[in-house]
Amino acid sequence: MSTFVQILLRSLESGSVYALAALGIIVIYRTSNITNFAQGAVGMFNTYVVTFLVIQAGFPLWLAILGGVGTAILMGFTIDYLVIRHTKKVSPVAKQIITLGLIMVVLGLAPMFFGVDPLNLPRLIPDGNVNILGANLSYNGLFNIVFGFTLMFILFYILQNTKVGLAVRTTASNEYTARLMGVPTKTVTLGAWALAAVLGLLAGVMIAPTTSVNLNLMDVVQVNALIACVFGGFQTFYGPILGAYIIGISRNMLLYYYDSVWGGQILYVLILIFLIFRPYGLIGKKVVKKV
Amino acid sequence: MNKVKTQLNFKALFKNPYVQFILFGLVLSTLPLLSIQFSFIKSAYITTVGVALIYAIAALGLNLLLGWSGLISLGTAGFMGLASYISAYLTVDMGLPFEVALLAAILVPTFIGILVGLVSLKIEGLYLAIATLAVSEILRKTFEEFDQFTGAFSGKSAKFPQLFGMFQLDRGSTYWLIVFILILVMLITYNMVNGQIGRALNAMRGSEAAAQAMGVNLLKYRLVAFALATIFASVAGVLYVHFIRYSYPSSWTLKLSLDFLAMIVIGGLRSIYGTVLGAFIVFAVPDLFLKQIPYFSQLSYTLNGILIILVIMFYPNGIVMIFKDIRLWVLKLLKKGDRNHVK
Repeated sequence: MSTFVQILLRSLESGSVYALAALGIIVIYRTSNITNFAQGAVGMFNTYVVTFLVIQAGFPLWLAILGGVGTAILMGFTIDYLVIRHTKKVSPVAKQIITLGLIMVVLGLAPMFFGVDPLNLPRLIPDGNVNILGANLSYNGLFNIVFGFTLMFILFYILQNTKVGLAVRTTASNEYTARLMGVPTKTVTLGAWALAAVLGLLAGVMIAPTTSVNLNLMDVVQVNALIACVFGGFQTFYGPILGAYIIGISRNMLLYYYDSVWGGQILYVLILIFLIFRPYGLIGKKVVKKV
Repeated sequence: MNKVKTQLNFKALFKNPYVQFILFGLVLSTLPLLSIQFSFIKSAYITTVGVALIYAIAALGLNLLLGWSGLISLGTAGFMGLASYISAYLTVDMGLPFEVALLAAILVPTFIGILVGLVSLKIEGLYLAIATLAVSEILRKTFEEFDQFTGAFSGKSAKFPQLFGMFQLDRGSTYWLIVFILILVMLITYNMVNGQIGRALNAMRGSEAAAQAMGVNLLKYRLVAFALATIFASVAGVLYVHFIRYSYPSSWTLKLSLDFLAMIVIGGLRSIYGTVLGAFIVFAVPDLFLKQIPYFSQLSYTLNGILIILVIMFYPNGIVMIFKDIRLWVLKLLKKGDRNHVK
């Protein structure tokens, strides 16, 4: 029982990381109609900024994270303002290649600013363990889980109950009509890119202490977040988050209880089989095509 | 009079697409000779250009899928990697001839590719893209874990190919083999898309319902499209492992699949030469040109990213359109000149 709880808690922690990244991807997909493959790369870059501020400039971690949030917002603004805004006429597939270009820019710039050696980012809460139902969890892990849930709760509250949220939802449902109704869709998209960059940074800061900060920091997160989006369905905002937590939990369960080598692959195979029966994901609706 | 006629024939000959393909191949195959003659063409360029051409082979397969059939796939890297490992294992560990390894390395991934084709009947668009990404990730994780077959993280090595058990190739001649196969693949693609299959795929892309109503068998042609794309990717994988002589799990990531997508989008969807051009822009330009710019050698990767973004922003239909634009621009200038002349 205690092992089960232990695995569950760990999975909730990695699930939050995937969920934050997936939320970033879905926010951009719904507002700009782009699958953002650069979500992980941008998050990686800003995690580097945080690590750099901690190690080189000697900032305390919380202040460094605020600095990282600043650069993330700035990066999100720049990407939307300089590139995305000017691609209205570009086909959806070509738009995705733009995010590939962004990955290359980021991967090229990061070693110039931060060097090629992997760096270590400390945990936000350095030590201390908490005992939940016989399972050990670090305070930092607990904080990550609670923080992930709280942040998502706040974001969904804003999305569903405020005017800003309404603007985002109308833009997501039909950008052209939204603009006719006086919704400042340009500002919404600008904000979406900034929000996605911040979410990517938070995911990066959460996962960085478990490995080292390097160029491939977010590769696994990126892939799992994309699969979570498909698994949960691209049509809603909460589907991918549900998908991310399910992937986080079932992946660790399979790895522990079934097979430590093939667990990850089996999960993907199961998701593929699931998709054959529900081609639009867990909560997705069928898009009606006209002939 | 007779002379004029032969000249005209000559012109017609150059207009013939098959002749053009062969000429293109001949031009490409001069590179190893040039690198011996001129010192400014370093012999390392053979590797760079060779790899770009290998990637062009795989990208042509993806272009058949995305460009002609409208099916998006992010699994190319996984299939290419699988073929490279199979070929390396069969030639090095089992000591089988290159041709047998090539055949096996094509058959196994193609079987998986056809399975994906079956899945594609149910899943569409972005969902299909990420489903194929999942297939590619399953393969990549297998490369990492299945170490008696793949050598896990330390990678798998292979040798330059030996043709028919007697001709041992070196780097230059393997490059010629790559050019030969690329031209072959270009010819096959050209014939395919201008024949019955191409018409069926085009119809499918336009409207599935309409295509079905016209008697196009969706299942058959989707499977054909996926099988061809996987065959081309597998051939590219085999050539890669015998040209670079190494295969690592870290080579076959999402990034590479996105690179293939970038190549055909940048070069131009449904353009055969565009695909090769796109492969050069994505893979060879940083090494061949951007690294030569003083003060910018470190930035080559970043510059290439910016170049890709700029191309898509200004040439969303592919860089092959730039030639058309240049021609129009020149014609316009000439016309202007004429008008001035009349005045």
